[in-house]
Amino acid sequence: MRLRAGDLAQGAMLPLALVAIWQAWGMAAGVARVPLPSRIVAAAAELVGSGDLPLAIVQSVMRVFGGFAVAAALAIPIGLAMGTSSRVERAIDPLVESFRPIAAIAVLPLAILWLGTGTSAAIAIVAYAAFFPIVVNTVAGAQRVPPTLLRAAATMGLTRAATLRTVVIPSALPSIGTGLRIGMGVAWTAIVAAELAVGAKAGGGGSGGVGQMMFVYYAYSIELNRIVVCMIAVGLVAFALDRAIRGALALAMPWSRR
Amino acid sequence: MSAPKLVVERVGKRFDVDGQGSTVAIEDLSLDVREGEFLSIVGPSGCGKTTVLNLLAGLETPTTGRVAIDGRAITGPAPERGVMFQDYALFPWQTVEGNVGFGLMHGPAGDGMSDAARAERVRHCIDLVGLAGSERKYPHQLSGGMRQRTALARLMALEPQVLLMDEPLAALDAQTRIILQGELLRIWGQERPAAERRTVVFITHAIDEAVFLADRVAVMTSHPGRLKALIDVPLPRPRDDSTRATPQFQALAQQIWGLIRDEAYRATVT
Repeated sequence: MRLRAGDLAQGAMLPLALVAIWQAWGMAAGVARVPLPSRIVAAAAELVGSGDLPLAIVQSVMRVFGGFAVAAALAIPIGLAMGTSSRVERAIDPLVESFRPIAAIAVLPLAILWLGTGTSAAIAIVAYAAFFPIVVNTVAGAQRVPPTLLRAAATMGLTRAATLRTVVIPSALPSIGTGLRIGMGVAWTAIVAAELAVGAKAGGGGSGGVGQMMFVYYAYSIELNRIVVCMIAVGLVAFALDRAIRGALALAMPWSRR
Repeated sequence: MSAPKLVVERVGKRFDVDGQGSTVAIEDLSLDVREGEFLSIVGPSGCGKTTVLNLLAGLETPTTGRVAIDGRAITGPAPERGVMFQDYALFPWQTVEGNVGFGLMHGPAGDGMSDAARAERVRHCIDLVGLAGSERKYPHQLSGGMRQRTALARLMALEPQVLLMDEPLAALDAQTRIILQGELLRIWGQERPAAERRTVVFITHAIDEAVFLADRVAVMTSHPGRLKALIDVPLPRPRDDSTRATPQFQALAQQIWGLIRDEAYRATVT
């Protein structure tokens, strides 16, 4: 987790080179509306300075947190139940696997129909999207508990509940963590998509989050530089959240630090 | 002589192989283990010695016959019969301390004990196996010998009536093995009177190890697993490194080797 200056410089080399080529090409071509690094920086300054972008990001982050929390609260217990009982798995797995390939954006019309175009629909979409990676990884983690550890717990007379708490969950934790990280990633793709679509229906407005902001710049004012600023903002926030989850997992699993 | 601690009576164990009938792991095996006795079971791989241990542990149930402790049928695992596994089965997310105290913290063995009493028991067991100073280390930070010691301390912390050990020293190098064989006898209490010792069933494929440790050696043969002979080991206790050099030790090891040599040889060419 420690960032070393050398690694940082090495990692930044390729992106910086690409940005330089982009700027040079854009200036040579001289097209008015085309996004250019210099124009994007200017747009970013405006959007951040006005407070519009931070507000939209905060709105989206709250929705992502809400949906992500709902997803984790459902997916982890269900995943543990499926992973420790083949009967439960046989009962639930067909349902999970038949919904899993259906993209969150495809269930958006239903969410809007039932929950309206507000925050609850956005949270539902995020929860739907994040649920699957968390549940699938939790099941895998619970199924991959080394049998000898379960036998050891049995010979010490542990009850089923105690074994779940003290053996299955710690053993599955790395896998659950992977599910949470992937879930957080898809939560972001889902929220942007959901806000884009909700934005289309609501026709703009101030409470749509970063996705709606992008839709407005796309459909109404055609400000491509601002859209790129939004993309970058989402990327940075999602990156920071992933790092936060990784840090929390490392704290929760001191034995895995080598 | 008092009633045996453990009884294995005409036990057969059959494992179903997916859609292809079944294999017989053990056939018609009878064996008594006396209270306070150290019994070794040796035999070539595939002779079902681990299955015998799992039956005594209650991790498996016999297909025919019965296994019992103090006259009661064994129907499942219980902390009165502690198990030490071949791969140690330490919990990687627990420190040495956490592993040793695991059964006391989360299982019935610690019921009714105060936190101080639990901590004291853990402390004592860690000292007993010579791991003082490593309490806060995780298993991946330990050598093979230290893991083995941790597993032994965890077993002792439960204060089981019966210690079931499945090739606990098999993964160690030869020198560490010899040292830990001596330690094991010390911890078991070979210097105390026989009445104060715990009952041990010790699985191994090493004949010298079986003879060095045990009061009796059960020799098994494979396909199907059967008891071939029960050999008394009248070597005086306490035993130490000089024991291995005695003619009596050598003769016993030779005798047992003679019983399994043909089969062990066949196993290397098939």
